[in-house]
Amino acid sequence: MTSTWDCPTTRPEHIDTLVQGVDRYNPSNIGILEDYLYQQTRNQEYDCLANLAILKLYQFNPDLYNPDVVINILIKALTASPLPDFNLCIALLEDRSPNLQLDEPDPLPTILPLLQSLHDLLYRCRFPKFWEVYRSDDLKVLRENYTVEYVGFDDAVRNVAIRAVKSTFTRIGIERLASYLALDNASTVAFAQKTGWSLNEDNTVANIPPNPDNQIEATVVQENIKLPQLTKIIAHAAKA
Amino acid sequence: MQQQMAQQAQFAQIPDPVKNFIVHFHKAVKENNLAEISAAYESGWNRFTEKFYAKTEWPEAEIIAPLVNDDNIFLILYRELYYRHVYSRLQPNIDDRFHSYENSCELFNYLLNSEGPVTLQLPEQWLWDIIDEFIYQYQVFCTWRSKIKSKNDDELALLEEGGGVWSSYSVLNVLYSLIQKSKINEYIEATKAGKSAEELAEVVGPYGQQPLYRMLGYFSIIGLLRVHVLLGDFTLALKVMDNVELNQKSPFTRVTACHVATYYYVGFCYMMLRRYPDAIRTFVAILNFIMRMRQYHTRSYQYDQISKTADRMYALFAICNALSPSRLDDNIANVSKERYGEQIGKMTRGSKEALPAFEELFLYACPKFINANSPPYDDPPALAQVLADAEAAGGSVDPARRQLNLFLADVVAQQSTPTLRSFLKLYTSLGTAKLANFLDVDEEEMIQEMMVMKQCSRSVSRVGTETGGLLDGTMISTSDLNFVIGDNMVHIAEQTVGRRFAGWFIKNTERTQRIFDDLKNTPLPAPPAAKAGQPVVSEPVAQRPAGGKPKVAWAAAKA
Repeated sequence: MTSTWDCPTTRPEHIDTLVQGVDRYNPSNIGILEDYLYQQTRNQEYDCLANLAILKLYQFNPDLYNPDVVINILIKALTASPLPDFNLCIALLEDRSPNLQLDEPDPLPTILPLLQSLHDLLYRCRFPKFWEVYRSDDLKVLRENYTVEYVGFDDAVRNVAIRAVKSTFTRIGIERLASYLALDNASTVAFAQKTGWSLNEDNTVANIPPNPDNQIEATVVQENIKLPQLTKIIAHAAKA
Repeated sequence: MQQQMAQQAQFAQIPDPVKNFIVHFHKAVKENNLAEISAAYESGWNRFTEKFYAKTEWPEAEIIAPLVNDDNIFLILYRELYYRHVYSRLQPNIDDRFHSYENSCELFNYLLNSEGPVTLQLPEQWLWDIIDEFIYQYQVFCTWRSKIKSKNDDELALLEEGGGVWSSYSVLNVLYSLIQKSKINEYIEATKAGKSAEELAEVVGPYGQQPLYRMLGYFSIIGLLRVHVLLGDFTLALKVMDNVELNQKSPFTRVTACHVATYYYVGFCYMMLRRYPDAIRTFVAILNFIMRMRQYHTRSYQYDQISKTADRMYALFAICNALSPSRLDDNIANVSKERYGEQIGKMTRGSKEALPAFEELFLYACPKFINANSPPYDDPPALAQVLADAEAAGGSVDPARRQLNLFLADVVAQQSTPTLRSFLKLYTSLGTAKLANFLDVDEEEMIQEMMVMKQCSRSVSRVGTETGGLLDGTMISTSDLNFVIGDNMVHIAEQTVGRRFAGWFIKNTERTQRIFDDLKNTPLPAPPAAKAGQPVVSEPVAQRPAGGKPKVAWAAAKA
C-alpha cells in the first residue's frame, strides 16, 4: 500500500483524472474503466483503485452490473495478496436485485465461493494446496472461462509465493520451493534465478538475498523522550 | 377555514416562554449574531425541549410562522431542529422521513443555488450538526428501507413512488457540491503553501471566503469519509481525506463531535485495511484527547454521544491490539482492559472462544453499514421475490454481517500465531522438525503457517511518513519477535524494551515542583511574640534574614 498501490505508474492520465475526480460516479464512464481493466489483464498491470471505481459504479447503478467484469476484478485482486485488495472488492458487492435483466444466468454466485476459497489459501500461504485446488476439476469453469484470459496468472500467483518466501527464508530447499510454485525442479531453479536468487552447487538450495524482512537482529528499544512530555517541567522552570 | 382555526388553536397552546424564545432566536439569526444564536441553539433549545417537548414534537413550522414573519430561511432552520428532535427523541414516521429529506434539500438548495453566496451565519457547531444529521438520517432511512417485511400498505405505496428520496447519489451530490462550491480543498492546499490572505481570497472565490461555506465544505469532507465507510468503501473514504491533516491543530477539531467522529471513521478504515498499527495510533490519539477533555465537557449536550463513541473505540482498540500487539500507550490499554478484559482474554489466547469475542466487539463497535440501493419497491413482483429469497436464506444479509465475515476471515487466518509465538519465544534457534514435533503438526504445514506469521508481523504504516495522504505508508515490522528460516533451522531474535525511566522521573519532578510551589506559597509561621519571661530562641527563625521575604530565602537556598 505504498504510493504505487495508490497510483500505479502504468495508470494512464485520463484514468487518473477519472479516478481522482467526481467523474468517477458518472455511469457513462463505465466503459472506459472496463476497457482499462481488460488492458490490465492483458498487459500484466494492476490498478486496484481504478477497479474499485468500477465496483462503486455497479454498487450505485445495479443495471450496469456485469458479472464477468466483477470476476476479472476479483481474480486480479487475488494475486495482490497479502494486501487486502480482495476483501476491499468483496466489501462493495451488494446483494443483487432479482429483477436484473441478464442475458445469461449470473455466474458470480457459483464462482464467488471458489474465488474466496482460493483467496483464503493464498492469504494463509497454503501454496501447494492452492495449486491442487486451482487445478482440480471443480475449478475448470474458472480456468477455462476466466483465468485463461489473464495473461501470466500462474506467474502472478507464483510471485505471491515468492514474496512470502522472500521475507521468511534466507535459504530454502528447491523441493519445497517447487511445491509452492507448482513447477518441476528444473523450472523452479530457473524461476529462482530469474527472481535474482543464487543457488548452491548442486542446485538443491536457493539463497535468498538479504532484505529488510529476512534480516533479524535482537535489539533493545531505548525510550525516546519527546519535548511535549517535558513542557510542564520546562514551563515551570522558566516561571521560577 | 377549519384548518386555519385548528392552526390558531395550536398556536394558542404554545407556552409563552417558547414563543418568546422563538422570536428571540429568529432575531439572533436575522442579525447574524453568532453569540446569541449559539446560546439559543446550544442551551435554549435543549432547555425548552426538556421542559415542554421531552415526549412530543415541537410546534410545526407552519404554526410558529406568524412569530417570525414567515421568514422562510428561519423556518427551514427551524424544521432542521424540529426533525432532528423527532429523530433523536421520538419515532419518525414515514412522513417525517420524507419531509426531513425535503427540508434538507431546501436548505442546501438555498445555500448552493441562491444568486451568489448567502449572508447567513451560523455557529460552527450547528454547521457540523447539519451535515452530521443529514448523513445520520440518510443512514437511518437506508436501514429502515431495507426491512421490507415490516412495511404497511401506506408505506409501500409511498416508497414505490419516492425512489429518489434519500438516494445515495443525492446525498453524495450535496456533499460534493458543498466541497466544490467552497473550494475547500484548494483552500487547504493554499494554506499549506503559506499563501497570503489576499492570495487565499483569490483562490477560494466569493463562496470560500465566507466562514459558513468554508466550514460546510470542511465538514462535508468528513461527511464523505463517513458515507463511504457506511457503504463499505474504505479506500475511497481515506482518499477523500487526502488534504485534511489529521492532527490536533486542524480546523475540524474546533467542533469536538467532528473531531471524535473523524478519528473513529479513519481508525475503522485502517482496521479494515489491515493496517492495525495505524488504527491503534489513531484511536490512542483521540482517546487521550477525550480523556483530557472529559473534565471540562461533561455537561455538554453532546457528551453522551462522544462517550459512547469512545467506548466503541476502546473496543476497536482492543481488537486491533489483539491482532497486532503493541505497547504504544499503556494508559489506553489499561482502560480498554478494564472494559473489555473478558473479550481481550479470549481474543489473545487464540482459543475457540476467540472468534465469538472478535464478533461481539466488532458488531458492537462497527459503524452502521448500509446498502446503497433500495429493495425494488417500484416492482412488486421483484419485491415479493426478494422477500421470499430472504426468508429462504433465513433472513436477509445484513450489510454489517457482510463486513464482519470479511474481517473474521482475516482473523481466522492468523489464529495460530499466538501458539507459534509462545514457542518461538523460548528459543534463539530451533530445527523446524523439532518445532513441528512440539506443536504436533505436519512440518510443511507449520512452515507455511510461519510464513503467515511473518506476513502478519508486517504492516503498511504511516509511521515516519506523516506528510502524505492517509493511504500512504511504508512497510514496517509490527512484532517484537522476529524470526527467519534458513533451510530447516529457525533463527529467532527478540526485540526487548529497555527499562523506561522517563515517566518516573517526569512524574516525580512534577511532584517535587508542586511541593516546592506549595512550600513557597505557604506563609512563614509568624515569629511567636516574645512575651516577657519567655525568651524564645529558635534557631531557624534566627537564621532567617531579617525582614527578608520568603521568596528571597528560597531563592538563596536554591542557589
